[in-house]
Amino acid sequence: MGGYILRRLLLMVPVAFLVTIIVFALIHLSPGDPLVIYAGEERDEAVIAVLRHEYGLDQPLPVQYVVWLEHALRGDLGRSLRTHQPVVEAVVERVPATFELGLAALFISVSIGLVVGTLSAVKRNSPLDLLATGFTIAGVSLPNFFLGLVLILVFSLAIRLFPPGGYAPLFGEPVDNLRHLVLPAVTLATASLAVNTRQIRSSLLDTFGQDYVRTARAKGLSEAIIVARHAMKNALIPVVTIIGLQVGAIIEGAIVTEQIYSWPGIGKLAVDSIAGRDYPVVQTIVLLSALSYMFTTLVVDVLYAWLDPRISYGRARS
Amino acid sequence: MVAETRRLTRREFLVATGALAAVACSPAAPGASPSGTAGKAKYGGTVTMALENDVVDFDPLKSRAFVDRNIYYQIYDSLVRVDEDGKIIPWLATKWDVASDQKSVTFTLRDDVTFHDGTKFDADSVKWNIERYIKTQGSQRAGELASVASVDVVNPTTVKFTLKSPFSPLLANLVDRAGMMISRKAFEAIPSADDFDRKAFKAGSGPFMLTEAVKDDHITLEKNPNWWGTDGGNKLPYLDKITIRPITSSDVRFTNLRTGDAHVANNIAGKDVPTAKSDSSLNYQEKPAYSFRSLIPNRAKGFVFEDARNVKAVSMAIDRQELLEKGYFNLGVVGYGTIAPKHFAYDPSFKPYEKADAAGAKALIQQVGKPLTFDLLIASGDPVGLQLAQLIQAQLKKADITMNIQQLEFAKILDLQSAHTFKDMAFTGWSGRVDPDGNTYDHVYTKRPFNDSSYSNADVDKFLDQERATSDESARKTAFRSAEKIYVVDDPARVWLGFGAAQLLTSKKVKAPPVYPDQIVRYHLMSMAS
Repeated sequence: MGGYILRRLLLMVPVAFLVTIIVFALIHLSPGDPLVIYAGEERDEAVIAVLRHEYGLDQPLPVQYVVWLEHALRGDLGRSLRTHQPVVEAVVERVPATFELGLAALFISVSIGLVVGTLSAVKRNSPLDLLATGFTIAGVSLPNFFLGLVLILVFSLAIRLFPPGGYAPLFGEPVDNLRHLVLPAVTLATASLAVNTRQIRSSLLDTFGQDYVRTARAKGLSEAIIVARHAMKNALIPVVTIIGLQVGAIIEGAIVTEQIYSWPGIGKLAVDSIAGRDYPVVQTIVLLSALSYMFTTLVVDVLYAWLDPRISYGRARS
Repeated sequence: MVAETRRLTRREFLVATGALAAVACSPAAPGASPSGTAGKAKYGGTVTMALENDVVDFDPLKSRAFVDRNIYYQIYDSLVRVDEDGKIIPWLATKWDVASDQKSVTFTLRDDVTFHDGTKFDADSVKWNIERYIKTQGSQRAGELASVASVDVVNPTTVKFTLKSPFSPLLANLVDRAGMMISRKAFEAIPSADDFDRKAFKAGSGPFMLTEAVKDDHITLEKNPNWWGTDGGNKLPYLDKITIRPITSSDVRFTNLRTGDAHVANNIAGKDVPTAKSDSSLNYQEKPAYSFRSLIPNRAKGFVFEDARNVKAVSMAIDRQELLEKGYFNLGVVGYGTIAPKHFAYDPSFKPYEKADAAGAKALIQQVGKPLTFDLLIASGDPVGLQLAQLIQAQLKKADITMNIQQLEFAKILDLQSAHTFKDMAFTGWSGRVDPDGNTYDHVYTKRPFNDSSYSNADVDKFLDQERATSDESARKTAFRSAEKIYVVDDPARVWLGFGAAQLLTSKKVKAPPVYPDQIVRYHLMSMAS
């Protein structure tokens, strides 16, 4: 297992390298000159020329890439073209907010998903199952930006229960932080909650059809014990894959939600940076996002082996 | 309303703008009191502002964004400022004398000003700041101060600006970022100028101190207890703290005001104005701003709008009143050029395209001899912009002008405008400046930076040179109006549609100052409602 993990970690290096090349090429292919964008309505060609030279943007693209890579390997990811903030500082500053939002959303989607999904499977075709199915379809169909605005209208404007956006630091003002967290976390969780509920339901139903479950039933075990001891662990394998992907997708998932609620996380930084063609920041965020995907898929693969002893990553036995 | 300071008379204003050379002005004035209620204003309290975007730079030298100025006016003092009618008033400079040859201006400075870091403000501070703005490579302020040849310290409270040539808009430029003073000690305490952009803590001398700035989250401004300004005998400012939260969505910004999570906003969508006016917990103020709305034709050789008659035909065929009502939800006013209603040179009788004239437009196009078909570039993802473009399209159709709407990414449009290679026409705005020169010169003078239409007219250049060279207000007015007639009617540089609105939406929990045409909130005059 140790050798497998090491191999997977080493493989991340070329993948990350490829990602940086692709992102660099893509963002430079998209139209728009960052300096012209930042100049906004006050475009002075002389000032733009000075800044272009200062930031090295007058160099050929391959040279710009090599310079960036050289600095990046030394841990210097440069400064934001837009705000002049060191990129590492800009990203690190925003990780806690995104992480908190992502984890809260994941908690909601997994915990509720497990309960509702299991009940739906156990009480198949019952009114509860039908209700859960309806909710699933609605959850997947509702885009984040729409759901966000509806929640603001209902819970902020009509009921005045939660603030319509903004952030308060978790450790400085914990209660205020939770008040601000509820709506964005629910918005972000809804789509994945629907997927998780559906996945758990169908996975459990598959497992219920297996011989060993029939054997357990024949032995006279109660339905609760069958689900908890026998069916659930096997049913969780595909669910873990999906949840793993959701963890890896926290940054992308948060993009729209953070924008709606002015949540100061990576997603909002990504949107602002892409709109401003802030090359160094976009490059770093995409790299971070790719690495988080790679890490979570590795963790998921390791979890498989734990959940199902038949899965082994050692050498094939002869 | 103002104790040690009073509103300038007309004569004093003429002096202030240099109309009477080498004559002293009145003492410094922090401005009008909140709705004329000085005397019973309440001290203390915290307000939250929902700002349309996060501040980009805290250094006035680098600032290019309108949002920055919302913070600057609270933390930095300028040499001069404007009152709510756009008239220049004393601020850090209590008076200024313009030499008879108009090639130098001598400022007398307040003696009771300290920066937030405790250092004293004096003539050396002015010299260091202005020279930094002029000499730093890549300074955004260098252009605004291009007329300044040197700054000399006469004594600690007197500083002399020597000009390369007479330049009447200088004072107006010193109202804003080019005249803002920062503490040299605070600036030099930060090793990298790039870090000062984000960490300009306690670097100004204004009514509030920047004490915290968390990117994309909030900015905290705290009361400067030692500020020099007073209002009707009351020491300013009234508020203890301002929290600024960047909220990009207009809907969410407005909701924050309605739920009471924010108390102040100065930019809400036109569609929300009726609700804002009818909401009993809110107070909405509006007045015409200096900002203008325009369509920019590419008048360079080989483009369809090289022929001035085609530009004029479009201008004639547009029904500006309908655009204002249906496109802008009545936010702003109809206008025809660059000189806004609050500018001293504004001519209310200048209404060249008051009624849409489809027949006149048709006749002009017939003269050209070729049907007019063109593309209008608008930013993609902007439903309000698209709706406006569609209205214009329908209006032009009545004059047999075919306008195709082309949506491009905003960044791409800016690129094309900068390179002067955009096809036909683009849709853009300008946030406006206090002096009409700031709204005009760089936009229509040959080869100036914001002259995106590649416009060039020798007479316009001549008149604009004239208005810059004299500080006589009536002579400037004549020159501006002569130029405006040419670049709007005779040989149009653009199709101007009107002026924007300065808005101020506040919770009834606060006593709001009046709204200023520059759209910037005067927090030093704001207090909590008692």
